[in-house]
Amino acid sequence: MSNLDAALKSAMSIDGAIGAALVDYTSGMTLGVAGGTGEIDLTVAAAGNTDVVRAKMRTIEMLDLKDEIEDILITLGTQYHLIRPLTSRTGKGLFLYLMVSKSRTNLALARHQLRSIEETLEL
Amino acid sequence: MSGAESTGQTLPRRAARAADLPPPRELPPSLAGDPSLPYAAIGRELADLRTQIPGVHGCVLGGVDGLLVAHNLQNAADPNDLAALAATTYGLGRQIGLRLAQGGFQQSTVRNEHGYLSVYAVSEQALLAVIGEDSINVARLHLHAPGVAARLAALLADAAADA
Repeated sequence: MSNLDAALKSAMSIDGAIGAALVDYTSGMTLGVAGGTGEIDLTVAAAGNTDVVRAKMRTIEMLDLKDEIEDILITLGTQYHLIRPLTSRTGKGLFLYLMVSKSRTNLALARHQLRSIEETLEL
Repeated sequence: MSGAESTGQTLPRRAARAADLPPPRELPPSLAGDPSLPYAAIGRELADLRTQIPGVHGCVLGGVDGLLVAHNLQNAADPNDLAALAATTYGLGRQIGLRLAQGGFQQSTVRNEHGYLSVYAVSEQALLAVIGEDSINVARLHLHAPGVAARLAALLADAAADA
């Protein structure tokens, strides 16, 4: 099993995980997806959230903050969506995307686990 | 003087095939210049694609014969050239589909240093070409454009049924 498949599998093992994807935000295309449901198409989520990441990066640039995104949390009524750009040299231009159920997850733990998955992911 | 001449060798050439080729396919009349097409509705679909996806410079609806039907380009690119280029791309895709038995042409994207050209099949007769800047969200384009192509196909089919 490739490192990418292993990373997506461990992302899906986070309590309450609904779907996970590794996305290239230069094109909006996915390198891999796991989970998702009949109603949730992760490739659509990836393309849409690419615009979210790009908008935030542009804002940071416009504010001249000389910083980068560690992660983005989006809270819905029933779900949390976590976005975590990859920090490794080989992961440049990619982000991990995780959807978790709000009622079945511990947000702090999910965020911590996603960070360790991101740190160990080598492409 | 070419290299082939200087060495006295002839370059390999593809030999002409025996005259057992099937007769040329009967083609329907070109879409280009057809006054019965719903140009206003086509224009709305092309404008929708341009406004829905940031980074789309313009769209061209052309026939598979390479002739322009409608466009909403505003920059210097010549829409007639793009309709011809879209048909060229289609030709390559169609041949690949035939050789590999992969069926009909659906979509082809060319990425250059400073931008994209994507060509989508609209119908047996028409193609949609989209010009995008380098920073375009191409996944979003690929999610959105087939729907536009399907609506354009319905508009063209309605016009053909009415004619």
